[in-house]
Amino acid sequence: MEPEAAVSSWSAFIGAWDIFRNPLLCALGAGAVLGFLGVFVVLRRMVFVSAGVTQSAGLGVALAFYLDIHLGMHLDPLVGAAALALVSTLIMSVDSGRTIKLPRESLLGLVFALSGGAAVLLGDRISQEAHEIDSILFGSAVLVRTFDLVAVLVSGALILALTLWWLRGLVFASFDPDAARVQGLPVNLLDRTLFVSIGIMVGVSARALGSLPVFAFSVLPAAAVLLLGVRLPWAFALATVLGALAGVAGYLFAFFYQFPVGGSQTVMAGLFALLAILIQVLRGRPLRLALPARARAISPPP
Amino acid sequence: MSAHGAPLRCERLVVGYAGQALLPPCDLEIQRGKLTMVLGRNGAGKTTFFRTVLGLQPPLSGRVVRAPDARIAYVGQALSLDRILPLRARDVVAWGLMGGWSFLQRGNGARRAACLRALAAAGAVELGERNYHDLSEGQKQRVLLARMLASQPDVGFLDEPTAAMDAVAEEEATAQLARLAHEQGLAIVVISHVLGLASRFADEIIFLDRDDAVVVNGPPAAVFAHPSFRRQFGALEVHDGA
Repeated sequence: MEPEAAVSSWSAFIGAWDIFRNPLLCALGAGAVLGFLGVFVVLRRMVFVSAGVTQSAGLGVALAFYLDIHLGMHLDPLVGAAALALVSTLIMSVDSGRTIKLPRESLLGLVFALSGGAAVLLGDRISQEAHEIDSILFGSAVLVRTFDLVAVLVSGALILALTLWWLRGLVFASFDPDAARVQGLPVNLLDRTLFVSIGIMVGVSARALGSLPVFAFSVLPAAAVLLLGVRLPWAFALATVLGALAGVAGYLFAFFYQFPVGGSQTVMAGLFALLAILIQVLRGRPLRLALPARARAISPPP
Repeated sequence: MSAHGAPLRCERLVVGYAGQALLPPCDLEIQRGKLTMVLGRNGAGKTTFFRTVLGLQPPLSGRVVRAPDARIAYVGQALSLDRILPLRARDVVAWGLMGGWSFLQRGNGARRAACLRALAAAGAVELGERNYHDLSEGQKQRVLLARMLASQPDVGFLDEPTAAMDAVAEEEATAQLARLAHEQGLAIVVISHVLGLASRFADEIIFLDRDDAVVVNGPPAAVFAHPSFRRQFGALEVHDGA
């Protein structure tokens, strides 16, 4: 759906709050939780995992439509997205080299490419729902069903509560799994919990907001915060805030300037990362300028 | 405690992977109050041996017997911790206090005090508030040593703790490990490539040799005199590292 060209002022926005409430709250909740989980995604170098899972969620939605239209089997697209996201998460979380004899990167590439290709093929056979497929893949949906909003908020709240409760164990098991295992931590359970949390959150969020912004929320806010060099507890908090901010600000930008929602949210998250790079560069400049100064100081006079 | 009083014992232990044994069956004990160094050429099976003894991979046959109350700690190579992980050194030390499901407990003053004690024992108090990834390799190793001490282990395993250090730092670190083993009664097991340090500081040596298919275990003088060891490394004398 496209926003109406006439609707572009705050008063019009507030007047139509009943329409915009769901997508805004959804962007706020999904952005916040994905921003939080994104710290793990970035630090564990799982960015391609996130890309593969979001792509699989898109395939799940396409599959749900296909089953409904061609085989008469009703499957809610949300369930399709969450199910495929979870399956791909579990495939990618296996200890590569043991269960599946492929390096993890190759496995991720397989899931990503296969999911994307299959979604395109299914989309070709369900042309009457093609706009829905676009919405899922690129996040062009303006509206969010109440059912989808509730799914995002409830899943997000549960995942956030669990990961905060287990945070110390998750961090230790994530970054020094062998030592954690030797000390008796349930590393496999912690690892699976993290992967499944990411899979569920990406799945339900992708159905509501689209794969592209969901991928952006799960990577860019955390990348921005980590570029700033803040310590880990602050990184989690700030990435949560930036993720939520990217979701809400992106939606408002799309509304006021008549752009697609998903693209606006993605660009907004990207701008945060670019801003962080700029700050890092500006911080680095005095150091670089100091080098010639020191060099001059030790140079013999002419 | 085990029948022999050792916190950890290998019985007819065969290590390897994919069903292929790397070394013959070995029987040995890791003893308290001693610095044990694991020596062998590249590919001799040192890391596989370590991982099997630690329970990180299953043995092909035989078993590893831990005393019921024995606490084990493991320190991998300092470089294995991610360079972009934004943690203070004392946050890394605090990991040593976790065990089982204790990560569900909230942080408190007692934990902070335990971290400080461990940092002091490792000679790294001044590093506690610094970013872990800003530290030199020698400083990182001291912090990881503090993490090991924070867990109050009976046995500490360290995988090439001095690999990224210069010769001076390497010697200081090994001397510190020997001191900790002797003064605190810990069993410390270290993988090393530096024969000179082994000859000066080790109380026990485990020599692994795939070519001759032997595992030799004992005091340095006895291991250095073994024909397989001499064939690999030549003649070596034991020096007093004190």
